[in-house]
Amino acid sequence: MTVGALGITCLNKWYERIILFALFQNSGHMNQLDLRQGISRELTAFPHILEISLVKNSTIQLNSFENELVDCICLYIVTEGKFDWLIDRKPYAVYPGDLAVLLPNQCISGENNILNIGSFYLIKIAVPPSCKVLLGRWSLLNNKEKISVNQVLNHSRGTPVVKLKEAQSLFQSLVAELKNMEVGAQTLVNHMLDQLLIYTCRQLVRQSNSRRDFPQTFLNLEQILRKDLAHQWTVEEMAVLTGMGTTAFTEKVRSFSGFSPLNYLINIRISEAIKMLKRKEASLTDIAYATGFYSSQHFSTTFKKLTGYTPSDFRKNNQAEQHQRS
Amino acid sequence: MNCIITIELGTNAVRVFAFDLQGEVIGFQKGTYPTFHEQPDHSEQDPEQMFITMLYVLKKLLNEVVYTKKFEVSCICFSSSMHSLLAVDEDGIPLGNAITWADNRGKIEAATLKGTPLGDTIYKATGTPIHPMSPLVKIAWLRNNDPERFKLTHKFLSIKSYIIQQLTGSCIIDHSIASATGLMNIHSLEWDSSALDFAGITAARLPQLVPVFYSDMKLKREYQKSLRLLPSVRILIGSSDGCLATLGAGVWDKGRATITIEDSGAFRVIGTEVLDDPGQQLFNYRLTNELLVSGGPTNNGGVILEWFANQFGELSTEYDSEQALTGLIREASIIPPGSNGLLFLPYLLGERAPIWNANARGCYFGLNIRHERKHMIRATIEGILFEMFSIGKTLEAHRNIESLSINGSFASIPLCTQMIADMFNKPVNTLIHGNSIGVGAYLLSATDLGIYPNLEQASKQVRMHQTFLPDPKAHEIYKQYFRIFENLTKKLGTDFDDLAALPTN
Repeated sequence: MTVGALGITCLNKWYERIILFALFQNSGHMNQLDLRQGISRELTAFPHILEISLVKNSTIQLNSFENELVDCICLYIVTEGKFDWLIDRKPYAVYPGDLAVLLPNQCISGENNILNIGSFYLIKIAVPPSCKVLLGRWSLLNNKEKISVNQVLNHSRGTPVVKLKEAQSLFQSLVAELKNMEVGAQTLVNHMLDQLLIYTCRQLVRQSNSRRDFPQTFLNLEQILRKDLAHQWTVEEMAVLTGMGTTAFTEKVRSFSGFSPLNYLINIRISEAIKMLKRKEASLTDIAYATGFYSSQHFSTTFKKLTGYTPSDFRKNNQAEQHQRS
Repeated sequence: MNCIITIELGTNAVRVFAFDLQGEVIGFQKGTYPTFHEQPDHSEQDPEQMFITMLYVLKKLLNEVVYTKKFEVSCICFSSSMHSLLAVDEDGIPLGNAITWADNRGKIEAATLKGTPLGDTIYKATGTPIHPMSPLVKIAWLRNNDPERFKLTHKFLSIKSYIIQQLTGSCIIDHSIASATGLMNIHSLEWDSSALDFAGITAARLPQLVPVFYSDMKLKREYQKSLRLLPSVRILIGSSDGCLATLGAGVWDKGRATITIEDSGAFRVIGTEVLDDPGQQLFNYRLTNELLVSGGPTNNGGVILEWFANQFGELSTEYDSEQALTGLIREASIIPPGSNGLLFLPYLLGERAPIWNANARGCYFGLNIRHERKHMIRATIEGILFEMFSIGKTLEAHRNIESLSINGSFASIPLCTQMIADMFNKPVNTLIHGNSIGVGAYLLSATDLGIYPNLEQASKQVRMHQTFLPDPKAHEIYKQYFRIFENLTKKLGTDFDDLAALPTN
């Protein structure tokens, strides 16, 4: 790798500058870590890993960390110093032991566009194009787990910073595997990436639920469900978002709300459907899908069972009443 | 065999009871719905979710209990929490969520009206203290802050009016719920013109006023069919949770009052005369054309103890705050009255009666190096009850109260019941039935069906369970501590306001 090549490809990026700076300063001392997809041989077997680097910054410079729109999964693991970052324009102070996770279409910059003094590890993982899940085929997770990881990460966009002590040592083992490439390394590296993401998800869930105040946890969950009502939620997925096991979750929901988790969900689906039926625009099929029923037949039966009306009768009846009123 | 169904649309949940005609509970079901806080002062609920949850729970109770035990439904009676507001357009479709009693968005509108001659006139006419809780203030807020929604609103409903309209098509509101809107004249039982003027609406934009015994409506055919109810089933509009909890506590004679403490709480008496409170601290709500329920509400009841347990309790497994609570109460019971010199002001949620200050906040006072968690938990419980005592004191300026009856999950904790007896220095009765609102709705229905000649006779059916007698020694201690409690509350008034004005708050 030549300095010239690096400089031409992406000179405007702050971390390149720092690494360049480091290279000039300690030429011959190549212990700086900077692996890039397409450049570093270590990543040939891992096309999904776009970058793995250690960023060390020892001077404060103007415009050293300007706004950057992310198009992959980015994990920032701080090891030294304190960083003031804006993630989606919200300020966060990130300390050693913290991990910040960014997803496609989120943006990050230093406060006042400055990169603070300190160091952090950075991993960038590509997201499969036009695919619903964030983790590509490289991941050893099964499909259900991938969906849950998706849900946790997506709903944590507003709270991207977690305390995760394990992250540093996991990162270091991952790098050692990449460098040494001993037998089984390909599997182990992907395994460790999975592990890092799983720990991140677990910590995100723990952080957003107090484990003390169930009504609050349940309200958080309800808000997540309402944001994506069209999804075919399973009890397992709901339990994951509260950080509880499925059995304990079901029991707790039942005693708190009076309903099983799925029946509680049906209540939300039907109440949203009622709102849409009262407004005239949407077709019954559209309403059925938007509120998470897998067919208009399924919608119709469930709706009638609960209300006594078929959805179309409900709408007709409601319009007749509106007519009478005016 | 016939039965009576009572449906309570409460703050956190709908509770449906089935009573036989003698008042024995034959079945119960509940279903929760959430309260959304989109902004710190906002507190809203989804009307369709409340409706569908109510329908689901009712259906379940009918199918799983009432019909399997071969009962036939004679009457369905409704109650709901007070002060809710739901704007609907000309097609009857909700414009946004229902705004609950706990919503504080109308702080400025309330402050503008309170203490003015118009405010005094409206309080005297409507019996509702001037406060953001009242739909009067909420409508004024909508007019000032959401003119688009205000303009589109064809009717301003209560959540109960909306649910009944869904079920029957009638657009009505009972005198009890209406008397808590701040818009109804409790003397003439009409919408009050000065209140309407302040809100900026005419009576045409409110539902039709009807007595609590109103039953001239029928379930829509589809609901009759799906619930398997006969067309002859009487649908009784009923009253509010506060009025029915008082009726259901069997409080009738002049010398009795009732204390209800669930999450929030209230001290109430029943009577035929409006309590004219110059401090405007007390409410006067209509139970019937003749009877009024008067008293004062507190925001800070069992919810504060729950907060303490969630923050400081020991959880053996996650989310097991109930067990943590039991442990804490055991700890509190070994500490003497007065918590060895520790006091607690419970105003974590601001306060309604008697200080009516939304900016009030919580405070431990008198902490010393030897205090432990058990002192803090005892002081927390004592603080919640001192607050109830101070509401009671305000009422005692108008009524001579000789005994109390209590209900609600917090007040029924034996340690708390004994504290109430000691603080008031009066005997305190507990009730056989846990849910006085349901019992009150049953008594109303049974009177309507002719089982009792009137509500007074009906209320005599309420049986007391146990009487807690006051301990004069504890009373003396509480008396001294209460003096400090009262002084602190008074002294901190302006500091609460200063704190609320800080930009970081």
